Amino acid sequence: MTRVLVPVEVLEGKTVSPGLMNLLGTVDVTVLGYHVLPEQTPPDQARLQYEDRALDALEDLSEEFRTAGGAADYRLAFTHDREQTLKRIADEIDARAIGISGMTGDVDRILVSLSGNVTADRILAFVEELVGDRDIGVTLFSATEADATEGQLDSAAERLRTAGIDVRTELATDGAPFGALMNAAPGHDAIVLGENAPSIRSLVFGDEADRVASASVGPVLVVRADETLDGDQ
Amino acid sequence: MSGRMSEEPSGANLEGETPVVEDVVETDEATITDDAELERTLGLAGGLAIGIGTMIGAGIFVFPGLAGAEVGTAATASFAIGGFIALLVALPTSELATAMPKSGGGYYFISRGLGTLAGTVVGLSLWLGLVFATAFYLVGLGYYALDALAEIGIVVGASSGVIVSALAVLFGIGFTVLNVTGTENAAKLQNGIVALLLSMLTVFLAFGLLDAFGFVDAGTPPGEAANVWEVVPIMSVAALVFTSYLGFAQVATVAGEMKQPGRNLPLAMIGSVVIVTVMYVLTIFVSTSVFTQDALAAAGETAMVEVGRQLLGTAGALVIIAGGLLATMSSANASILSTSRAIYGVSKDALLPREASRINLKYGTPHVALGMAGGPVIALAATRQVQLLAEVASFLHLIMYGLMCVALLAIRRDEPEWYDPDFQVPGGAVIPVVGALASFGLIAFMNLRSILVGSGVILVTVGWYLYYARDVRLKGVL
Repeated sequence: MTRVLVPVEVLEGKTVSPGLMNLLGTVDVTVLGYHVLPEQTPPDQARLQYEDRALDALEDLSEEFRTAGGAADYRLAFTHDREQTLKRIADEIDARAIGISGMTGDVDRILVSLSGNVTADRILAFVEELVGDRDIGVTLFSATEADATEGQLDSAAERLRTAGIDVRTELATDGAPFGALMNAAPGHDAIVLGENAPSIRSLVFGDEADRVASASVGPVLVVRADETLDGDQ
Repeated sequence: MSGRMSEEPSGANLEGETPVVEDVVETDEATITDDAELERTLGLAGGLAIGIGTMIGAGIFVFPGLAGAEVGTAATASFAIGGFIALLVALPTSELATAMPKSGGGYYFISRGLGTLAGTVVGLSLWLGLVFATAFYLVGLGYYALDALAEIGIVVGASSGVIVSALAVLFGIGFTVLNVTGTENAAKLQNGIVALLLSMLTVFLAFGLLDAFGFVDAGTPPGEAANVWEVVPIMSVAALVFTSYLGFAQVATVAGEMKQPGRNLPLAMIGSVVIVTVMYVLTIFVSTSVFTQDALAAAGETAMVEVGRQLLGTAGALVIIAGGLLATMSSANASILSTSRAIYGVSKDALLPREASRINLKYGTPHVALGMAGGPVIALAATRQVQLLAEVASFLHLIMYGLMCVALLAIRRDEPEWYDPDFQVPGGAVIPVVGALASFGLIAFMNLRSILVGSGVILVTVGWYLYYARDVRLKGVL
């Protein structure tokens, strides 16, 4: 079954919003509790001191995910490098997407961006599974200027409609792709987009400031590229 | 002997704390414990930067004047001997480190190979040895800072020694505070500094060699240092400058954080020793070609600045001052980092109070261990005793180096079932035996005062073992 990795800085008091938990009720979840240490501190030293507290928090979190519907487990990692740890664990559990938590209530409509180099097919398949038979609307968004885009957007919408999902489309033709996406965000409770979409790297892997900025747009689900297929990865 | 059941960790220290030992799985990317994963984030470049960054400050920027003043060009032999001994130890250390890629380095191998007494002596000596070494780097930094002040026109009069002490103490406080409160990752900066230093030195040495062989004439005076090609003086200089080779063992203290430890640990340790040995020998050759012994002795700790000035004028002097500041800073900083890891390794095994490895919530840094590193460093730096600090640091490290070689022999003999190193020292027992003899032997060539202080430190660590950790059992436990 499809698995989503949800990284949470548990020891910093971070948690997962109920809205994201409910949204992920149709898929399996691995909660990654992680703690980033300055280079002065050996990870093992931090583990000895904080492991029990982190495990308690992770037990609770994964229990809440299970209550919301999906199967959930957790991993705990101490690291000097957040990006390296996220990548390693996402690869190990073969995660289809990474969920970045942000505040949200009940999810009524999600914004799905088809920009970037993850195949639309992979994103759509994930969205179909995520929405399931729930009453969650989807807005398909693309910011590419290529002529073919409008046609692609329509056929993508058709595919989701066939699956019984309420779909709108939105095509932005001017402005920076990332800015256009942020402009489209209001009115949506979560965003789904492909890995390596413009400026997404900083959203997932970037430093604190970037992530805080992104938190204002609610949860973000980043669909990972299939590295066995994407030769350019 | 190989049965693990009979060798479980046991015993408690004076406060009833027991060693923390558990089964872990080591992969190339992480250490997997029962409930958590510890990411390995340091690559080969990072490991080399720690090794070279720790070593280069002393060997290039502090010792050439002192060593050249003693034996002239023969000091190249002293540095070559030091490098050779370091290599003899780096090989066994690599084998042990790839079998036990954990924080604590030399301490860890010796406590597992030779038991708690040797482990306590080495663990505490590693901490204190690093403290002496850091103080030595800070005094070197103080001399370079003084020269930098002079270069920009601030001349201090007769009390220059006091100023050096004050600068060394200030830098010591600064580094300690930065390490406790700094959460920015300075590792990339360290890599950049080391790369910059290496390229600077390559250009400088190339020019110096051309001048020395007469291919270019930088107008250096014909004064060439007289050479004392005699065994005892050469060996005693080797004992003095051995502090220039302590960095490779610092690489072992971060073994637990190194990616692909089976490949990167040996490469980083052996590679950094080989690179700095070549650099040192060339530097000594150039400086003793440019200056007579008297001139080197007069210039003292910052003789390299005068060498730079002779070869390339004021620009040369400025380059060497900048390099010396950077190099001694990186040495001091890398050593403070290793010290706190050394303390952690010992306190995890209940040989020091567990409190010593506490981490504070605010910065996520081990403030107690950093304080235990920084406090004595500052006190020692104030003494400004370059030779004593350097030799005691070397003494304490050489004891550890010798014992690491012995530990390798002991572990190979006992063949515990967990012992499966990725890297094996070729040639059977030859290298560890010669390495142990050379390490212990070099101590004999030190100044008597340094030997007395070093032995005093060792006695104190033995006393600590008897008082505090007599009942802790570590031998053979992975």
